[in-house]
Amino acid sequence: MKTKNRQILLVDDEEGIRKVLGISLADSGYHVVTAANGEKALALFKNMDSPIVLTAIKLPGMAGIQLLRKIKKDSPDTEVIMITGRGDMELAIQSLKFGAVDFITKPLNDDVLQIALKRAKEKIFYRETVRDYTENLEQLVYEKTKKLLQTERLAAVAQTVSAMAHAIKNITGGLTGGAFVLEKGLELENKKYLDQGWDMLKRNVERVKQLALDLLNYTKEREPDYQLCDPNQPIQEVYQLMLPYATEYSVALEVDLDTKLPDAWFDPERINRCLLNLVTNAIDACTDISCNHRQGKVSLRSLRRKNFAVEYEICDNGCGMDEETKAKIFQQFFSTKGSQGTGLGLMITHKIVDEHRGVIECSSELGKGTTFVIRLPVRE
Amino acid sequence: MAKKILVVDDELDMRIFISTLLETNGYKPFSAVNGKEGLALARKGRPSLVIMDVMMPRESGITMYRGLKTDPDLRDIPVIMVSALSKKTFFHSQKVLDDYKGEKIPEPAAYIEKPPEAEELLNAVRICLK
Repeated sequence: MKTKNRQILLVDDEEGIRKVLGISLADSGYHVVTAANGEKALALFKNMDSPIVLTAIKLPGMAGIQLLRKIKKDSPDTEVIMITGRGDMELAIQSLKFGAVDFITKPLNDDVLQIALKRAKEKIFYRETVRDYTENLEQLVYEKTKKLLQTERLAAVAQTVSAMAHAIKNITGGLTGGAFVLEKGLELENKKYLDQGWDMLKRNVERVKQLALDLLNYTKEREPDYQLCDPNQPIQEVYQLMLPYATEYSVALEVDLDTKLPDAWFDPERINRCLLNLVTNAIDACTDISCNHRQGKVSLRSLRRKNFAVEYEICDNGCGMDEETKAKIFQQFFSTKGSQGTGLGLMITHKIVDEHRGVIECSSELGKGTTFVIRLPVRE
Repeated sequence: MAKKILVVDDELDMRIFISTLLETNGYKPFSAVNGKEGLALARKGRPSLVIMDVMMPRESGITMYRGLKTDPDLRDIPVIMVSALSKKTFFHSQKVLDDYKGEKIPEPAAYIEKPPEAEELLNAVRICLK
């Protein structure tokens, strides 16, 4: 217990009581200050603010109950023990209602006094502990959060670097291979090698370019370059671009467009990027090992939705996702594609849709397939 | 006569690179894009060596490898694994599968992590075909 807590204000008009009780309390290690009446007690209390007050219920002038109420009003944490006479039961009970911690009856018994004091001290201790916890809790939460954020940021940086290293290593493999094949073509004057090597180099240079663009797209905060265009234009382009890829992996690519959609304001290049990401993922999902028993199918749709300029729907019957995977898809650098994935695609798709103030939704069932929906708002 | 080597990889770049490397060193490569096609071509083409990837769509290299090693006609063909999967991970997966299936599949003749170096791969090929 702190030194301050060892202070007791003892209030009684009987000098004998003040003396005897004073000695008894001093023996128990308390620092006792005494007052003969309520007014004096209150004046002393304002200066010392002792945690425990022991007061007679019957006092000349200001009654003990009044003193109790004044103390509790100014300093609710102070515990007040009432000293009562035999016939003061009514008053004693009333004092409890006003917040006294206990009452002891005259003639005073030391054991009863000690129990009352113990009760008062315990009450103070618990209240202080709770307050400490509450105050420290805020500090604790602040510190832990700060630490967590730092750790997470570091982890995110490490993850980013590792994902980049992986993607670059992959492309480097393609570039080295391309250079090798091209060199053989030059060395042996072999047209086939020259063509193949050159194509490989071009393909992998394109991959580096795309990776750099993706990263730029992700890190840069920029407004979409709004243009008034046919909402079917980007989805048509993506369909044309991905058809050979789908065919190579024997996935049926279908397109079903609402040709009556009015022109809308959006960034065609970036929406193209979103749809391309989704269609690529859809085809990849159909070529998953788990799906080789059925014909892979990816359908692209554009349709009219109330309050929106357009709704795009990319639906596949591929491997689908479990809840755990679905929860992570828009996260940084999360990929299920092993060496081929950078984990950037959906992250960027999400960002682009956000920048358009649009909506992106995903429903998926493991083993059944996945549907992505993008809705773009009407802009004037 | 030039020795036939089957190259199985879903990545076009990898197929071209390995095929060119083999062709310019006097071998006769032919290729497949997934494990299923790879196993069928191995039965049909009877290569002296198989160079294959582990992670491929449709049917993974792990399944194809076990297919090769459990087929009495094909089990003696040496296999070189070329994969982005670390060597440790691959061998661990093999051990787990062995335990699960209660069979012991021999280890591949060589395991090369992607991207493969021309000389490293060629050396492995030479050793296998000695």
